[in-house]
Amino acid sequence: MALNEQDIKKIAEEALKQLGHSASPEAVEQVVRETVSRLQEGGPSEPVKEWKNVQSGQKPASTERIIITAFGKNRVGILAKMTEALAKNNCDILDLTQKLMQDFFTIMLLVDISNSPHSFEQIKNDLIQTGEALDLKVIVQHEEIFNAMHRI
Amino acid sequence: MPIALEEILETIRMTEVEHFDIRTVTMGINLRDCVTDDLNKLKKNIYDKLMRVASEHVKAAEKVEADFGISIANKRISVTPISIITDGFRQEDMVEVAQVLDKAATELGIDYLGGYSALVQKGCSRGEKAFIQSIPQALAGTKHVCSSVNVATTKAGINMEAVKMMGQVVKETALLTADREAIGCAKLVVFANVPEDNPFIAGAFHGVSEPEVVVNVGISGPGVILRAIKEAPEDLDIARLSDRIRRMAFKITRAGEFIGKRVAELQDVRFGIVDISLAPTPLEGDSVADILKAMGLEDVGAPGTTAALALLTDSVKRGGMMASSHVGGMSGAFIPVSEDAGMIAAVEKEHITIEKLEAMTSVCSVGLDMIAVPGETSAETIAGIILDECAIGIMNNKTTAVRIIPVPGKQAGEMVDYGGLLGKAPIMPVSNLRNSIFVNRGGQFPAPSRGLRN
Repeated sequence: MALNEQDIKKIAEEALKQLGHSASPEAVEQVVRETVSRLQEGGPSEPVKEWKNVQSGQKPASTERIIITAFGKNRVGILAKMTEALAKNNCDILDLTQKLMQDFFTIMLLVDISNSPHSFEQIKNDLIQTGEALDLKVIVQHEEIFNAMHRI
Repeated sequence: MPIALEEILETIRMTEVEHFDIRTVTMGINLRDCVTDDLNKLKKNIYDKLMRVASEHVKAAEKVEADFGISIANKRISVTPISIITDGFRQEDMVEVAQVLDKAATELGIDYLGGYSALVQKGCSRGEKAFIQSIPQALAGTKHVCSSVNVATTKAGINMEAVKMMGQVVKETALLTADREAIGCAKLVVFANVPEDNPFIAGAFHGVSEPEVVVNVGISGPGVILRAIKEAPEDLDIARLSDRIRRMAFKITRAGEFIGKRVAELQDVRFGIVDISLAPTPLEGDSVADILKAMGLEDVGAPGTTAALALLTDSVKRGGMMASSHVGGMSGAFIPVSEDAGMIAAVEKEHITIEKLEAMTSVCSVGLDMIAVPGETSAETIAGIILDECAIGIMNNKTTAVRIIPVPGKQAGEMVDYGGLLGKAPIMPVSNLRNSIFVNRGGQFPAPSRGLRN
């Protein structure tokens, strides 16, 4: 089966959707690669096994995932400074949502800190300081509290 | 399912705006293994055990606060009722034990230590009589120690002798702490049907059927419930109003259980229960009275207040029971006067009286709580108030309590201010009709027939 660029893009998009939070570049690449080779070999079109493997191999929600919420007046560079602080701490951003209500800016970041050389406290302080310099209120919490409160 | 931005913002609004916090993480510690017949040895055993077992309690709670962004207002300890540990000692020895407890609490950084307690619903041993007499001095000479005495249960009836003694003990405690507006009485509570796993002060103690060490947690979230009700349209029917409360109660109970379990885990200790009582604070908006008003009453005290409180208490229980397998303690709604800005305002406007509060205690989680009365109120009047609460408790199979403060030298309409979580209390007028023949009869008030459930 011949695949063009369009098809591969579609597979990648689908992989991203399926993987959700565990969609690191490596995981997406693995799924796409294996899917493409399977399709090219012309095997049966059963559900792609690799996806399940990657899914089950994903790390369970552990204490390594934190949620950062920041609010304040909108201004240039908020996101840049916050993500810069995270990059400096070698933290992996898994999800990001932002909302602008009139002049009021809110961002929420889901971040994996398991590969950071720094502790939760250090990262938290760093982010709060970064926020203060931008007149932002920054709240840093482990993700589990939200799961406990909002999921049955 | 990933957490939505709205859910995160709701959580943050709860903690930042609506004062949702964990009122207390209370470590219950068994002290029965400290018993010996030598006073100095006993004091050393108690001190050593507390310092050993609870050494990490405050640190663990602070770590959990930092990790999850939910503040824990108080870190507390409860211990085996001290009357059991000190039975056989003299009254003044017991006061010394209270001072050891206070010393340990200070050094551990604990806010309150509960368990200077006795369970005498069916009679007092000689040691327990001495113990009850020791309470005023114990409370006057300590800062963190809290005392409770259970004088009635549905199974046993009411120990009339103990009720009478407690009337006098409350008076004496007020006199001994007169220089501090009788603050000793804020740390003393008289119970009927006391729970053995209650994390809240002043009634916390570590029951004899409890494990060696346990962590119990009490939540505080009137502000959160208040918002849920305020946002409801005026014509929303009562069952749907209950549903809104339930949903919020679920969330705050889950948070409480989660935080409590973490604090327990960090110390390698068993987690006990969540007490889902809504505990108000004197802060604006963190008030149970405001919830009742938001349901559609001009003020607490309006006809309908007891029904509104019943709806609140029951809805909170439903949500809480769904959220946690281990709901315990008192679990309902507290209606302390001095600790609730809305209650204080209602008393000042004379919208609410002790008699109306008494009616409300038949559907709330505890009883007449943090009520300041004129200093001249007699021990017999106080005993009568205690008796009324005990009767409500044993007949309705619920916990009731009296924490009343006869402030020396103060008259109805004046105010006392304790600061912090204890808040400030307007002095409420009390009926002074004589009751002495009745309260002095003594003996055992028979257990109600509903106590025979087998």
